[in-house]
Amino acid sequence: MGAEVITISTDTKFVHLAWQREEKTLKDVKYPMGSDPTGKVSRMFGVYDEETGLALRGTFIISPEGRILNSEVNYYNMGRNIDELMRKFKTNLYLATHTEEGCPSKWKEEGDKTLKPSAKMVGKVYEAYEVKK
Amino acid sequence: MGENCCGLTVGQMVPDFKLETFDPSKGDFGEVSLETLKANKKWTILFFYPADFTFV
Repeated sequence: MGAEVITISTDTKFVHLAWQREEKTLKDVKYPMGSDPTGKVSRMFGVYDEETGLALRGTFIISPEGRILNSEVNYYNMGRNIDELMRKFKTNLYLATHTEEGCPSKWKEEGDKTLKPSAKMVGKVYEAYEVKK
Repeated sequence: MGENCCGLTVGQMVPDFKLETFDPSKGDFGEVSLETLKANKKWTILFFYPADFTFV
């Protein structure tokens, strides 16, 4: 996929091991499972719940330079959409080499319509959308 | 930890951090470090969740 995925909870690495070996749906998991028992990293990203000592469902995409480009945080009871995460990641990859462009919400892959913000476009975004790929 | 200690927002640089890991691909414990990931020009996706033995 081109990114290092790291899952993180406040459980210890020993519990991660036990869970991954026990839970059948995790048998194909390949990514490292990070352990943040002190909550230090969870606090850094603002997902640490001081009441419970647990991390909320936060997803962050970090560029190779170390900059946060996307952030999504859900409360305990809502799962995440992996298709949407992949769309954001692919969009970041494209924009990293097409720095003058912007990708609208429906952008999915190279060749899809992008926008080039300029004075000419002010008030005329609809025209850009009318020109289909 | 300096100015970016808590509640980082989009656009900010992430201070280097390290975490102990269990790495299923190796079947062993290890460590991830943002410093190393950056040195290897890697994109990184962090995926926080409340607790093992629940859904993710």
